[in-house]
Amino acid sequence: MSIISNQNIAEAIYLASKDETNRNISFFVNKVIKFLSCKRLLLRSKDILNLLEKIFNEERGLVYAKISSKETLNTQTKKELNLLLSKKYNAKEILFSESLNEKLLGGFKIEIKNEIIDLTIHNKLKKLQEYLTIKK
Amino acid sequence: MSKNDIVENLRREIENFSFEAKVEKIGHVIEVYDGIAKCNGLTDVKSSEMVTFSGGEEGVVLNLEEDTVGVIILKDFSKIKEGDEVRSTGRILEVPVSDFILGRILNALGHPIDGKGEISTQNGKTAKSYPVEKIAPGVVTRKSVDQPVVTGIKAIDALIPIGRGQRELIIGDRQTGKTAIAIDAILNQKGQNMICVYVSIGQKDSKLRKLQTRLEEGDAMDYTVIVSAGSSEPAALSYIAPYTGVSIAEYFMDQGRDVLIIYDDLSKHAVAYREISLLLRRPPGREAYPGDVFYLHSRLLERACRRNENYGGGSITALPIIETQVGDVSAYIPTNVISITDGQIFLETDLFYKGIRPAINVGLSVSRVGSNAQIKAMKKVAGTLKLDLAQFRELEAFSQFGSDLDEATKSQLERGKRAVEVLKQPQYAPVAIENQVVILYSLVKGYLDDISIDKIKDFEEGLVQYVQRNAKVFLKEIKEKKIWSDKGEEELKKAIEDFKTSFNK
Repeated sequence: MSIISNQNIAEAIYLASKDETNRNISFFVNKVIKFLSCKRLLLRSKDILNLLEKIFNEERGLVYAKISSKETLNTQTKKELNLLLSKKYNAKEILFSESLNEKLLGGFKIEIKNEIIDLTIHNKLKKLQEYLTIKK
Repeated sequence: MSKNDIVENLRREIENFSFEAKVEKIGHVIEVYDGIAKCNGLTDVKSSEMVTFSGGEEGVVLNLEEDTVGVIILKDFSKIKEGDEVRSTGRILEVPVSDFILGRILNALGHPIDGKGEISTQNGKTAKSYPVEKIAPGVVTRKSVDQPVVTGIKAIDALIPIGRGQRELIIGDRQTGKTAIAIDAILNQKGQNMICVYVSIGQKDSKLRKLQTRLEEGDAMDYTVIVSAGSSEPAALSYIAPYTGVSIAEYFMDQGRDVLIIYDDLSKHAVAYREISLLLRRPPGREAYPGDVFYLHSRLLERACRRNENYGGGSITALPIIETQVGDVSAYIPTNVISITDGQIFLETDLFYKGIRPAINVGLSVSRVGSNAQIKAMKKVAGTLKLDLAQFRELEAFSQFGSDLDEATKSQLERGKRAVEVLKQPQYAPVAIENQVVILYSLVKGYLDDISIDKIKDFEEGLVQYVQRNAKVFLKEIKEKKIWSDKGEEELKKAIEDFKTSFNK
């Protein structure tokens, strides 16, 4: 017998939750927890929850993007990025989380959906180093 | 090159450099333990693909699971932390290869570790890269084994001949002379148009150093590459080292050359793979080895082959070594490798301590395809030797019960004793094939029957020198034309008889 994957469980919970009204949702959550407990799947609940969040976001067209840069990006750049990424990832809304990192030396990098677009000076220098050392 | 030239070159190179913004696949480290990293993300990553960690460390993807990816780390893993970024490279693990790696000691990733600097490149060209994992050549590209690999060891060349493209296992307990056979085989390849690759897996660095010195003394490093994954290095490197070795061998084979590759030893390779597999939580099977341990060795040894001329010719002869525990050949790894290879050279502790060195058990050792590759002269002289030795062993056991033996049995016993004596050989003293033919001819034709056993060695040395001076036609035929003629035989017979007369005086 094949093992039921976390993805399967998360998808099943999401589909079942779709039919529930807001009033019944706490009753539904109780049922899900009981099911997981009966099937001894509570240990996997954290992963299932993460996958559930991912499915939920995908359905709603929400995409999280993490931007790291040396300095805070201006509004215009963010606006342009939002437009570009919404188109590329087919998203209704891009939720940005920003962080500053001195080591990047300049430029910025975006982490989105297990992908990275690295436009930092640090990365450019690394690539230049590789280019100069490999091509003799 | 002047300072200005260097600056100018650098400026030109930088001008040619272009940076393209591209999307790369990334993941993050969830767990790190004993050279293994579990990562999430890394969508679309392939098995055996190289990944780089944020600190510059490299790894290879081995486990593809539903939510995570199991990566073996190829360098120091102490600096990798949970949450570190991992990027996929899109490249399968490769090893740089060129003609300049001959004479060098490389690590499992193909980087030099002998302190002689970087490997030079020719005409500013980048060294080629060969994938470490590759499917073995198909049946259409192959040819049957018909050329010999002369090891210089009489017992092997006469009784268990090895052909170019063959896989012959060297198996035995610790301290029985397994590596010694491999070194002797390498030393004897001088002038035989053979490239040698020695893969050291989990061996002590002191042993490797000794081996390198020995090969340098015998001028064997000119045609040898050593690939080493030492015992202090991570298990991941021990796992990769034999595949790196065979990739290097394939580079030379692709140039139509013959290559001899030695894996010393595959027991340690299996142990390293078991360690990795258990850390990756793969289910353990017999002796705690994972289920695919047979495939681990079969895919490696299948890459040894002899290619036909339409596909460029060339061959890879593999001599894997397996260390047994207290002579137990029925353990998991020995039985696996025995069944994969085309024969085995079985070494025994008892024989070793009896002074029979190389301690080859002729009865248990076999070569399934090598006899087709044996030169005619050797075939002629060694044809009955194996049978004689087997009969001798049987009679020897019987003769212990009583001394009342008939003349025929007695003479057979005496012949057997002399055969054992002739097959003894010191380490690092390979014998040329024509000299082997001379001494074995004198043995099977009974010329040694009236020479006392303690004088056999002296007789052998003297005879070889005498024949070299007085039977030049015969030697030339064997060495160059590889033929056996009646005229040559007559010359040899005469030389042996003449020498014997002077020896007995």
